[in-house]
This record gives sequence, C-alpha cells and structure tokens, in this order.
Amino acid sequence: MSRLQLLGLASIAAFLVVGNAYATGDKANGRKLVYTCNGCHGIPGTSNAYPQYPVPKIAGQNEQFIISALHEYQSGDRTHPTMMAQAQSLSDQNIEDIAAYLSSITPIK
Amino acid sequence: MNRALTLLSFGAVLAFASAPLLASGDVANGKTKAASCVACHGADGNAVDPQYPRLAGQYNEYIQQALHEYKDGRRNNPIMKGFAATLSDQDIEDVAAYFSGMPTKLDTLKGHVQGD
Repeated sequence: MSRLQLLGLASIAAFLVVGNAYATGDKANGRKLVYTCNGCHGIPGTSNAYPQYPVPKIAGQNEQFIISALHEYQSGDRTHPTMMAQAQSLSDQNIEDIAAYLSSITPIK
Repeated sequence: MNRALTLLSFGAVLAFASAPLLASGDVANGKTKAASCVACHGADGNAVDPQYPRLAGQYNEYIQQALHEYKDGRRNNPIMKGFAATLSDQDIEDVAAYFSGMPTKLDTLKGHVQGD
C-alpha cells in the first residue's frame, strides 16, 4: 500500500472518530436499557402525583436533549426524585445508548 | 386538638401545592407567546438542532410543569429560566396548549421496548 493511500485511510479513520463524537450510542443496548423506563413512560397519559402531570413522551425525542436531561437529573439541575434516582444508576455510555435508541423511534400510528 | 389542627393545615398546604394543571389554555394566545420559542424549538414544534427538545404533541400538562420548574428553579437551565420568567401562569397554559396540539413525532414507549 502506498504512503498516500495510508495517509488517506488514516484521515478517513480520524474523520469517523471525530464525526461520531455526538453519536456513539448503541441503539440495540439502548432498547434493552429502556425496559426500566417503560414502567412509567410506556403508559399513555400516566400521571405523577403532587403536582399531577402526565409523564412525558420520550420516544422520538431529540438525541442530544435526552443526554442533557439525564445528566441534569444526575447533577441535580433537574430535581424530579424518581428521575434523579434512575439517572444515578446510568453510566455515560448507558445514557448515550438510551438517547440513541429513543431518538431513533418513530411513533406507532 | 393541636395535633389535629397541625395535620389539617398540612393537608391544606398539600392541597394548594398540588393544584392541578388544567388543559384549558388559549391556543391563539399561545401562538403569539410562542414567537420566541420557535427560534430553537422550531415553527412546527420539532427542534432541528438535536440539543433542543421537540415540543410538538408533548403532553399539555407536562409542558406546563416543565415551564413552572424552569421559572421557579426546580430545573436549573439559564436559557429556559430567562424565557420562563417572562411568562405568566396563563401564558404557560396558553403556550402549552399551542405546542401540545401540534402534529407529533413523539410517542410513549408502549410498543417500543424489548419483548414488545
């Protein structure tokens, strides 16, 4: 292989690594991880108590936003007790996997 | 007696604190108030930049709840705190009515988990 080809391959590899900085989530693993979320987020219109409001729709939500929201529950920038506890159990990679899966969903009509 | 009164007042406080969020907002006023929201959240309520959430078709009361949390600091987000501060309780109801009524790309997890 020529030096030029090697250089080309190296730059493609570098591009792939950089390009994936915001999309390293594993959808298949995310699909497994959201099993826990389903207890509340899988029941249409299910409500929280005090104050009462429906648990949000999270399937189809934007990827980076889901990542931010889960990190905010971890850091305390969001204060919902159940979600703070759930987020504590997730690694950074778990969060990226969940976000990759959720953001890939299109609604069931 | 004292104890009963104390308990009763706790009950009263709880009743006020949990005043239900009502889905009675004015969509037309919501659209006017949402003029600044669409820069990030999209004219159709589906943010293009993935760092911002899609609002179109999200539950009305959930949007209200989120806005109240940004306003009172239970959610600490500098951008949303600024916007929420400009909204009255009525504005929040109206904006929520506007976005929740849009065609949605969101769904619950029903049918989307392993084993479904």
